[in-house]
Amino acid sequence: MGKQCLHSIWMIARREIQRIGKKPVYFFCMLVAPTICVVFFLSLMKDGLPTDMPIAVVDMDGSSNSRNLSRQLDAFEQTEVVLTTVSFEEARQAMQEGKVYGIFYIPKDFGVDAVAGRQPKLSFYTNGTYLIGASLLFRDMKTMSVLAGASVGLQTGLAHGYTEDQIMAQLQPIVIDTHALGNPWLNYSVYLNNTLLPGVLQLMIFLVTVLSIGSEIKYSTARQWLQMGNNSLTVSLIGKVLPYTVVFTVVAFLYGAALYGFNSFPLSSGWLPMLSALFLLVIASQAVGIFMIGVLPTFRMGLSFASLFGMLAFSIVGFSFPVLGMDPTLQALSNMFPLRHYFLIYVDQALNGRAFFYSWTEYAWLLGFLILPFLIGKQLKKALLYFKYIP
Amino acid sequence: MKKEHRLRYIIKQGILDTFYIWKDELKNVFRDEGVLIFFFLVPFAYPLLYSFIYNNEVVHEAKMVVVDQSDSYLSREFTRRVNATPDVEVIAVCTDMEEAKRMLDEKKAYGILYFPTEFSKDLHRGKQTTVPLYCDMSSLLFYKAFLLSATEVSLDLGKELRRHNSPGASDKQEQITVDPVPYESVTIFNSQNGFASFLVPAILILVIQQTLVLGIGMLGGTAREKNSLHNLVPVSPHFNGTLRVVFGKSLTYILIYVVVCIWVVAVVPKLFSLPQVGDPMTILLFLLPYLFACIFFAMTLSGFMTNREAPMLLFVFTSVILLFISGVSWPKEAIPPFWQVVGYAFPSTPGIQGFIRINTSGATLNEVVHEYHTLWIQAGVYFVLACIIYRFQIRRRKKFEDFNVIM
Repeated sequence: MGKQCLHSIWMIARREIQRIGKKPVYFFCMLVAPTICVVFFLSLMKDGLPTDMPIAVVDMDGSSNSRNLSRQLDAFEQTEVVLTTVSFEEARQAMQEGKVYGIFYIPKDFGVDAVAGRQPKLSFYTNGTYLIGASLLFRDMKTMSVLAGASVGLQTGLAHGYTEDQIMAQLQPIVIDTHALGNPWLNYSVYLNNTLLPGVLQLMIFLVTVLSIGSEIKYSTARQWLQMGNNSLTVSLIGKVLPYTVVFTVVAFLYGAALYGFNSFPLSSGWLPMLSALFLLVIASQAVGIFMIGVLPTFRMGLSFASLFGMLAFSIVGFSFPVLGMDPTLQALSNMFPLRHYFLIYVDQALNGRAFFYSWTEYAWLLGFLILPFLIGKQLKKALLYFKYIP
Repeated sequence: MKKEHRLRYIIKQGILDTFYIWKDELKNVFRDEGVLIFFFLVPFAYPLLYSFIYNNEVVHEAKMVVVDQSDSYLSREFTRRVNATPDVEVIAVCTDMEEAKRMLDEKKAYGILYFPTEFSKDLHRGKQTTVPLYCDMSSLLFYKAFLLSATEVSLDLGKELRRHNSPGASDKQEQITVDPVPYESVTIFNSQNGFASFLVPAILILVIQQTLVLGIGMLGGTAREKNSLHNLVPVSPHFNGTLRVVFGKSLTYILIYVVVCIWVVAVVPKLFSLPQVGDPMTILLFLLPYLFACIFFAMTLSGFMTNREAPMLLFVFTSVILLFISGVSWPKEAIPPFWQVVGYAFPSTPGIQGFIRINTSGATLNEVVHEYHTLWIQAGVYFVLACIIYRFQIRRRKKFEDFNVIM
């Protein structure tokens, strides 16, 4: 019995490989699309942080002090002064034209007033329409303002005969020293690509799994396929998904190599926890894919479901906007996405290097997705045997 | 001169055929539930869903744990004030680092604020003191909430301490040494730095393009599947001219998407009170070339779809890339030149850039003129390409017909 099952699985897998070979779309979904994405995202964020973002300096002072300030601002890695003007109106228009994301305003007589102790006020404006650009520029312009104050403070303080320590304690008694655990560079590539790329993989697995089963219904080959598995859905399904499991696992491991090997992203707990998480993500996504076509056995409905669910994952997984900040319904719903659990494993294992103990429930969740095909088995089999494709 | 060659006749017939094709395509759309999903359900439901996901805009009450080895009035006051900020909630005060780290491991908290033993002593002695802040980096928004709240409290408390420490100096005089150059920061446009206000407008515009590509691609694929010659254009005397086919079909899509656009850019932002400072007329004028560009772009692509499921397999994943290439989250200046060029092939790139600037930053057409022109150029180029594709398909069909007549 067991031997015969293995033989059937082997025969179905061989048949599947032939089917894959005949349709270039499989090749596209399994290899081309993931390659495009990995090349795109890793090359887009290769510097880790966007550099030289344009700002405008409105210099009402026009003294050597203000020019010096502008030059120092330009020297920051993330900031580039592309426009120096005396008209705030012009700067604001440049912002609306998308030419600058921030405006640094130096008031009239800034240099003279600062030294004379008349407390001239620096103002900076960021465009919240571009959240990432705005928050990075905010950081640079704020640092610049603090430094400007410090340098003036130092000058006057030293003139009064205070020591530098005394002056610093006076200028800023409490300093917050931030430690970004696991990603001290605040590298956006680390932050985004660790979840974006597996998300693409999950999407493509959903689509390909639905495609491989749905096309059997569409081209009325489902009965033949089931017969090869001696009418056992389990055997037939295992044989069918096996070639995809192999290909996608290889692709997933290559993603792992690109992220943790080639790009040396943080991998605190070593390779094993992440590689096993990637493998589990692949088979969990396949299980969800089978569930999708089982629930909606119409080929295009199944594919639509896979598309929408797969795209939604990128938002609901919570790597950009945290799940804890969402509505409780959505917090519960996020558990239905394999990528969510993969993301939590990544945070524990690769980013923070926590003990396995803290993430075992997430591994268990991923394994738990394998139950889904069994829940929908009966309906799927009925669909395979009796469903007629209506275009 | 034969009747068929008179210009007036050709024009009249052309217009009649255009309307025939329009009606025919409208029927195709409403008969096909797969297309209906993409033309109506997705544009209807997706914006709602995304607005719902990001509706809270900012993170409130990010969980923080405090390790207080100073155990002094000042450290407790600092903790109390951090807890009082809207963005951060202090869930526990521990005595040692081990316990706090364990709380991070258990995801009970996402940040640690650590007061060293000498915290209060330093401050009383007039020495600068350092307070380490440790942040879990699983979400940058948590990091931002912790950092901004802790910094704000440290500055406020610092100012009060200085006043307290040098009571002899007059108020004004003392402020000058401690705060020689004050500063203020202003966020103009999306002033609360909300996440929905930042991302949802871009998604709204992208949804329009992607659903058109998927829906029209599906119609094209179906037409080819149904057709015995795998041809995009059915065998019918009404389908003899390229222009009438392209105009007739695009008329269908435009009428449907006028409704979709009203929902997506006028109703949804109101429902979720997303910022909308743009002039409605400007938005309308800007969306016009965007719709044309998207429709002809989708019709061009549909020429390559050989079956009805193909568009989903080929185009869904591009949404993620297109969102990044548009320069809304990743600044366009930081996009490598190669990808910038690739971005110009898609109407969504200038579409999103222009729309968010009009909608969220209140730009006028003058300020988005580059994007506006790009969209018209794209509309023109894709119109020509769509015509070429249909011309080719009509010729191919005619060849077969002629061939059949001879046989």
